[in-house]
Amino acid sequence: MEFILEGFRKALQLIFSGNPEIFAIARLSLTVSLLATAFAVLAGVPLGSWIAVKKFPLKKLLIALVNTGMGLPPVVAGLVVMLFLARSGPLGFLNWLYTPKGMIIAQFIIALPIITALSVSAMQNVDPKFYNQILALGASDRQAIWVCLKEIRLTIVAAVIAGFGRLVAEVGAVMIVGGNIRHQTRMLTTATVMETQMGNFDMAIAIGLVLLALGFVVNLALTIIQQNKVLTR
Amino acid sequence: MIKLSGLRLAFDSGFSLDVDSLKIRAGEVFAIIGPNGAGKTTLLNSMAMLNRPAAGTLEIMGKDALASANKLPLRRAMSAVFSQPYLLNDTVFNNVALPLRLRGLRDSAAVNAALELFRIAHLKDRNGRTLSQGESHRAALARAFVTKPKLLLLDEPFAALDERVKESITRDLRRVIKTSGAAAVLVTQDQAGALTLADTLAVLVNGRILQQGEPQEIFSRPVSKEVADFVGVETILPGKVASNRDNLCAVEAGGHTLMAVSECRAGDDVFFCLRPEDVSISLSADAGGRRNNFKARVAAVAPWGLEYKVELDCGFTAQAAVTKQLVDGLGLKPGAQVYASFKAVAAHLIKRAI
Repeated sequence: MEFILEGFRKALQLIFSGNPEIFAIARLSLTVSLLATAFAVLAGVPLGSWIAVKKFPLKKLLIALVNTGMGLPPVVAGLVVMLFLARSGPLGFLNWLYTPKGMIIAQFIIALPIITALSVSAMQNVDPKFYNQILALGASDRQAIWVCLKEIRLTIVAAVIAGFGRLVAEVGAVMIVGGNIRHQTRMLTTATVMETQMGNFDMAIAIGLVLLALGFVVNLALTIIQQNKVLTR
Repeated sequence: MIKLSGLRLAFDSGFSLDVDSLKIRAGEVFAIIGPNGAGKTTLLNSMAMLNRPAAGTLEIMGKDALASANKLPLRRAMSAVFSQPYLLNDTVFNNVALPLRLRGLRDSAAVNAALELFRIAHLKDRNGRTLSQGESHRAALARAFVTKPKLLLLDEPFAALDERVKESITRDLRRVIKTSGAAAVLVTQDQAGALTLADTLAVLVNGRILQQGEPQEIFSRPVSKEVADFVGVETILPGKVASNRDNLCAVEAGGHTLMAVSECRAGDDVFFCLRPEDVSISLSADAGGRRNNFKARVAAVAPWGLEYKVELDCGFTAQAAVTKQLVDGLGLKPGAQVYASFKAVAAHLIKRAI
């Protein structure tokens, strides 16, 4: 029991003394996961909206595949990306293995189906008559989707929150693709795993607390954006 | 403005819309009336290019509206109002500005003018979702008119409104349409609304247009029993023309000889049609020159809008629409003995196939 309290005490000391290593790791974690989320939003929201409004053969199958992708195990995503980026792999020439770029790709692949699938269902919830009304007012398909997205921004931001939450907490993919290299690809999650295994509980607790705080701050920001213009009933 | 022919849409449910030909002129208010499920909305959605006909041609403002390249430019020359206003979760001003923004325009003067037109300028900073039903319909109309469309499509625009609000909005809409010179297609079940607004009327039943023409013509001279039924002809009696002398026909129907002005020939099988507004009730046998006059027994008296409807048994059953004053004055109640009369010109004959 004693060592837990002691761990917390030392952890807070580390954080408030501004331990440079912890903050460097936090910065990298935030950058990688935010960029991966941003790319996944840029690709997944339009893709999901398009799937939702268009009629095409095998649409249900595609939605089922995207939904399955929401449960994609990060270690599998990491493994696949590693194989592609490995020196002898098809994208080996990029030299992105064990770099933040590689980790962003792996995390992008994890977040894409989540954000796409949630966008599909959010968009399918829009009354087709509402969509038709926007078209009838002179909108192109793209404009009509944009107007609808603004209407369902609450749900879209919820999808972004879900995606970012998954990424910032994810350890398997960044471990495999990044390799947890000190000063280069060490993330908050991989560092927590390592410090725990090495018995440095104060460091592990400190990093864990930073991870929690980071998640809270980002979600707070997203929630403020989301709740803006919400009508009170 | 709109020309369509051979337009056909089929649905999995077995329903199909089949419109042989329909023409809407510039500046004309064209109403399509018909019962629920007749295909009115499907037809209007075709004109809005929101569905894909299986066959036929559709020309709007001289352009082929079935060609996908023409859709966006055509949609931007027209506008639509549906039974639900479908406002954005945004201010009324931004809602009304939306069609302009979709066209890459920012013109707050036009937005304010449109708000003014439908008398909702004072609401412009309110969120569209917080408006009352009537206000949100006014916002939807202002939004539709902000681009000064040449063609306006209206799908049951006031179905959800109460009578008083509907009347005041209909009056404003009529004024705006007439001053703007836009053509409008109005789809509705509400015959009174159609009569107030429309220059031309089409009756759509079961996916087919059964009659089109001037509203008064359709209401008084329906071409088939279905149309007669729908436009409020309450007395429809099967019969046979006994003679025709200078278009004054004697018709054997309902156990009587009834007189009607018609071009039907002796021997024709017909439906004898009579609107309740055309039947007069009096206590004396003097018909005042009306050619049809029958002794009748009042079977029932029931309120009908602002008037009363009296069911009369004259051997056949006839409905008469009368004022409250008349009901009180003549003491009309079930069992009362009266005389029912109507003019031969008020009666209408529809040929029936046997």
